[in-house]
Amino acid sequence: MSDGTGTHAGSAPRGSPPEGISCEEALARVYEYLDGELEPGLHDRIRAHLEVCHRCYPFFDFERMFLEYVRETGRSAPGSEALRERIVSLLADGAG
Amino acid sequence: MAPEDADKRAGFEAEALVHLGALRGLALRLTGGDEARSDDLVQEAVLRAYRAWERYEPGTNCRAWLSRILRNVFINEYRRREARPAPVPYDEAAEAPVFPRLSAGEDPEKSFFGGLVDRAVVEAIEALDEEFRVPLVLSDLEGLSYREVAEALDVPVGTVKSRLHRARRRLQNRLYEYAREMGYVR
Repeated sequence: MSDGTGTHAGSAPRGSPPEGISCEEALARVYEYLDGELEPGLHDRIRAHLEVCHRCYPFFDFERMFLEYVRETGRSAPGSEALRERIVSLLADGAG
Repeated sequence: MAPEDADKRAGFEAEALVHLGALRGLALRLTGGDEARSDDLVQEAVLRAYRAWERYEPGTNCRAWLSRILRNVFINEYRRREARPAPVPYDEAAEAPVFPRLSAGEDPEKSFFGGLVDRAVVEAIEALDEEFRVPLVLSDLEGLSYREVAEALDVPVGTVKSRLHRARRRLQNRLYEYAREMGYVR
């Protein structure tokens, strides 16, 4: 896809997309890239694109922070004393 | 009760029941905030864990072991259910990336994430349609790979990829709306 053009004007030096990947193509793969789910060749090309593309890099960085944030905060749960008591009493009754 | 039963129960309570909160959180996220269903799910998972307690290796990650049991209980139930809701149509406004809308200059990422509260994230996850919520929870909270999510839900990997992409963008947009309502992004 060496003739692809970036979605961000001026993101690719001298008009050719860095590492043969257009910004549009890179952005479409952002989650697969961050999840480590791309085949190694494509992963490396996107990484190389990000090293030189000043428009895509902050976009990817934002998505990375977003995923980390969800991971960190998404688990919290209010405890439930009622549930705990229910389970403890089932165990005591020999429910195992 | 035989003394070995009392020992087993004491050990289980000390090592496993401390993770009840985490299990409940996982169950609530998977069921979309259905408290009664979540508590049943947790109870079923904990009783199964208790019956299998001899197979738990002390010193290994007990929360991960319990979470896996709970996931399996949920997935078995999910796959048994024949009726699936109709696929949610693509919604450009709800699924567009948020980043281009944040104001450039003053570290919009920090101001965006810095203003969010955990409760908002949790509610936004639970409010997602099941089609998006379940893959997102399995991937982002439970750390399953695309292939593992695909196997769990019995769908192709490509389907997982696209649902996860759409799920994350929908979540992002809900949080963006929250941030705007709270007035800390414009």
